[in-house]
Amino acid sequence: MIKFCRDFKKYFSYTLYAAWAELKSEITESYLSWIWLILEPFCFMLIYTFIVRIVFHSSEAYLPVFVFIGITIWNFFSKTVNGSVKLIKSNKSIISRIYIPKFVLLNISILINFYKMLVSLVIVACMLIFYGIELSIYALYLLPLIILLLCGTFACSVILMHFGVFVKDLSNVINIVLRLTFYLSGVFYSLSTRVPRPYGAYLTHYNPIAYIIDEMRNILIFAQPLNLKWYISWMVVSIVFSFIGISTIYKHESKYAKVI
Amino acid sequence: MGKLAINIENLVITYKELHRISLKTLKKSSTQKKKKGYTALNGITFSVEQGKIVGVIGKNGSGKSTLLRAIAGIFAPDEGTIETYGNSVSLLAIGIGFINNLSGRENIILSGLLMGFSKKEIEKKAEEIIEFSELGDFIDKPVQTYSSGMYSKLAFSITAIMESDIILIDEVLSVGDAGFKKKSYNKVKELISHDKRTVLIVSHNMNTIRKLCDKVLWLHNGEIMMYDSTEKVITQYEQFFS
Repeated sequence: MIKFCRDFKKYFSYTLYAAWAELKSEITESYLSWIWLILEPFCFMLIYTFIVRIVFHSSEAYLPVFVFIGITIWNFFSKTVNGSVKLIKSNKSIISRIYIPKFVLLNISILINFYKMLVSLVIVACMLIFYGIELSIYALYLLPLIILLLCGTFACSVILMHFGVFVKDLSNVINIVLRLTFYLSGVFYSLSTRVPRPYGAYLTHYNPIAYIIDEMRNILIFAQPLNLKWYISWMVVSIVFSFIGISTIYKHESKYAKVI
Repeated sequence: MGKLAINIENLVITYKELHRISLKTLKKSSTQKKKKGYTALNGITFSVEQGKIVGVIGKNGSGKSTLLRAIAGIFAPDEGTIETYGNSVSLLAIGIGFINNLSGRENIILSGLLMGFSKKEIEKKAEEIIEFSELGDFIDKPVQTYSSGMYSKLAFSITAIMESDIILIDEVLSVGDAGFKKKSYNKVKELISHDKRTVLIVSHNMNTIRKLCDKVLWLHNGEIMMYDSTEKVITQYEQFFS
């Protein structure tokens, strides 16, 4: 763990600069550049709102905001996790030439997706204003909730990153699992009202992503406090798995360069 | 005998045949016997004194690059130890961590940070790197617009000017046009003539080795054939292949 902190500090400026560089490179590559960061989640929100309203004839309160919050968190999680499986392989040119603690690569990818999520959150704020939703004091829980999201995503990704090096089919499997999780996380519908009792509550509480999305809506739209019991439980789980992931990576990282 | 900079004892590195598992290989491995690993380095023991320049020679596949990578910390030894006494080690490799549609200047910082230097140190050296690379105005253009020669010139300049205690050079002495080649050769010479800097050079060019190195390590099929003064080893080496 001491090694982790030391390496984190040592490579911190590289992490920042590399994330910035990659974002800049992505942005200069496409014509509409950074507008895509807004346009993409916005279009998906329109699609899901359309499906829920027109096709399923059902609705939640403030549906567009409701959906947009779901998409914001889901995008961050799924992009990072999905990328982590192939992270080592796609950075082959670096790994086979110089030593770098492998979690630094993951931190870069998290930072990039985090920045994109921040852009998305700004839109959420605009939508809250547009719909005249007044923020309560509970909106301050946003910060601890985002910290949980970061820890949880790191824990998942760091473990998948390790197995992604050795298991070729993992990315196919992860695609399917992610799609399943997407539908089970209530990104565009409410788990607690649409899924019959008591399963709705189970799905919300035992699926960390569903839990985070649900809480994010509670604190921002419905002015409710965090469910601290679940928050602390998931935080502990995330930290434990991060520990396991980091120590696994340190133990095996010298083999990565040989395998890829 | 001076202070040691690198001490390697009984180093063994194998590439295991397990590579990556997929559904297909899982099916196969149940029917086929597991293949044996390939031993790239087999029981290497040698040490290098501080400030010495050591050439590493041997035919293709004899483990030269693997040895350099192991010293640089990219591979961990399967057996044995590598001690570098806290010296900073850099593998003189071309263009690590470059992002193609960013400018040369930005890639200098990126590459330098990756090599473990602070941003201040890099900014201090940046002008020197740009000047040495002879890129002029191109430095602010994306590196994807560079010709391959310009690309390697920039990459070489970064690694050459960001100095570290132990430098490992893997066949990069032939970069760019004739003029730059001479310049980079001189730069390498200047770099390695610093009396505290320890250098390992892999090359197939016996002239280069003869001119630059104090000692030569001859690897053959993952084992040391000879480790002695330059003339002795090269004479033997040339006889071996004639």
